[in-house]
Amino acid sequence: MRSTWIFYRKEMLDMSRSFKLIWIPIVFAILGITQPIISVFMPEILEMSGGVPPEMLSLYETPSSAMVMVQVLSQYSTMGVLILVLAGMNSVSGERHGGTAELIMVRPISSFSIMIAKWFAQCTQLLIAFGFGYIASFYYTYQMIGSLSWTSGLASFGLYGLWLILAMTITLLFSTILRGAGAAFVTLAILALLSLLNSLLPTWFTWSPARLSSLAAEVLIGNTLSVSSVIICCLITVGIIVVCLLSAARLLQKRVLPN
Amino acid sequence: MDLSINWSLILPILILQLVLAVIGLISLYKASEVRGPKWMWVLIIIFGNMLGSILYFVIGRKDA
Amino acid sequence: MSLLQVTDLKKNFGKENAVRGLTFQLEQGKCVALLGPNGAGKTTTLRMLAGLLEPSSGEIIFDEQQGVTDYRKWLGYLPQNPTFYGWMSGQEYIRFAAGLSGMEQKEIGKRTEAVLSKVGLQDAAKRRISGYSGGMKQRLGFAQALIHEPKLLILDEPVSALDPIGRREVINLLREIRQETTVLFSTHVLHDAEEICDDILVMAKGRLVEQGSLSSLREKHRQPLVIVQVEREREALLWLDSLKSKPYVIQADIKADIAELTVHDLGSARDELMREATENRIPLVRFEAGSSSLEDMFVKVVSAQ
Repeated sequence: MRSTWIFYRKEMLDMSRSFKLIWIPIVFAILGITQPIISVFMPEILEMSGGVPPEMLSLYETPSSAMVMVQVLSQYSTMGVLILVLAGMNSVSGERHGGTAELIMVRPISSFSIMIAKWFAQCTQLLIAFGFGYIASFYYTYQMIGSLSWTSGLASFGLYGLWLILAMTITLLFSTILRGAGAAFVTLAILALLSLLNSLLPTWFTWSPARLSSLAAEVLIGNTLSVSSVIICCLITVGIIVVCLLSAARLLQKRVLPN
Repeated sequence: MDLSINWSLILPILILQLVLAVIGLISLYKASEVRGPKWMWVLIIIFGNMLGSILYFVIGRKDA
Repeated sequence: MSLLQVTDLKKNFGKENAVRGLTFQLEQGKCVALLGPNGAGKTTTLRMLAGLLEPSSGEIIFDEQQGVTDYRKWLGYLPQNPTFYGWMSGQEYIRFAAGLSGMEQKEIGKRTEAVLSKVGLQDAAKRRISGYSGGMKQRLGFAQALIHEPKLLILDEPVSALDPIGRREVINLLREIRQETTVLFSTHVLHDAEEICDDILVMAKGRLVEQGSLSSLREKHRQPLVIVQVEREREALLWLDSLKSKPYVIQADIKADIAELTVHDLGSARDELMREATENRIPLVRFEAGSSSLEDMFVKVVSAQ
């Protein structure tokens, strides 16, 4: 327990010294704020770029605040996920291939403690970044476009946050097996496949973790969700996260040293 | 639309972009080793907006 | 009292047998060198002892009286090329390592200072490790291995990569450390082993070929040896070659005009050889009677690879 805490503090110190604790939240905030601004000023932007007939401009309607928040989430699904995966890809592989793991694993700390500490540290970073970005975006949208329901905002934050945590956990798992770039590639491929299956065959994959992002969007728009499907989806995602963490710990135990 | 309102909305983004570029440059200055020449990253961070800084943090920085 | 007991330890990497059955004991308080040429399986052995590699088979028992299974708390380990977090300071790293080894907060502060000054890093303690030189990193490696006062210190080639000054420093440090704890270190240089330790384990091709105290091994490998060198003449060379079948010669190593003969009894062999050489009018260049050494044994082990 104590060694997990010590390792967690080391991870957090690393993140702050490498500026990850600052730059990732800033990027999330920029992405989150840009979306409502673009939505409101779209006609002006188009006018400035020229070549758009005025009658087209007059047809433009500012999307509802809920729709803007959905667009923000879709920004996070691409840029946000990409950044989180790239920032986390070396978490374990860097220590294995760099050689720092060798000096850690000869001490009385279990590989499970290490993985848990790394996971919590990544969660902390993720929630700071996503939280900061989401609040900034929520505030802007609220001020510029119109009121939003706080409860649905919170529910959507929770559902989407779980999806991001899953993405981070998969990155952590593959980081114990592959080198950084390979881990990022495999993780992104898996996430893309999950999302693709979810959008192509939504009725087949009601339980899929990728449903979380669509559920987060629906909650914002104001659709009532079936509680059972939300619970199933969340439980399955949590289950996958736990399995990923346990396998990562097991794999790290077996292969501390790179071949 | 009044231009002054326009600026007060966009200013936070500009400030965030500036902070991002500044911490990118600080990190670059402190780093003993980066992938590729340092002057190239200075240009990328300054002229590459948000994406330039992200590229530096993700690709340029060596995790040491 | 035996601190570590290793029984029939084996490690395969796929089809390759890196370690083929080691059995030995480490006595408490001893300093033991694991000696062997490169590729003998030293690093693999040490990594198994440190718990970084799972043995394919065999048993490692640490401090039988205590009956502990996870002995990493009492183990200090320094790999060949220790790597640290470059963004930490030396002091932060040592405190981190001490915490992971389960030391109390109060103790950590005192010990960190003591250990860092012991390895001569007190002035660099607050600097980032990324700015350390190779020698400084090696010394930080010693500090992290010693911080928790381990019962057993395992060092993988601690001196081989250093320049002469760094080497001297590390050897002096090791002499100090061996007063305090049990040390097992690997090296491929017999001289290093002789300088620091009194016991050696000699490994070759994944097996232990010799073990014991240096003095007893020196005694054991001190065999009567005669070296004969002749002029490069046909008659003389033929005579030299014929020596290997003489009854008083145990082993002959003949290279062109020089013969190294291990013999049963130095006195009678010398008389016999001199008599034959005079009778056959052999033009001797050199005639030396002495004894073989541990170096010769080690060279044989290495060259057999």
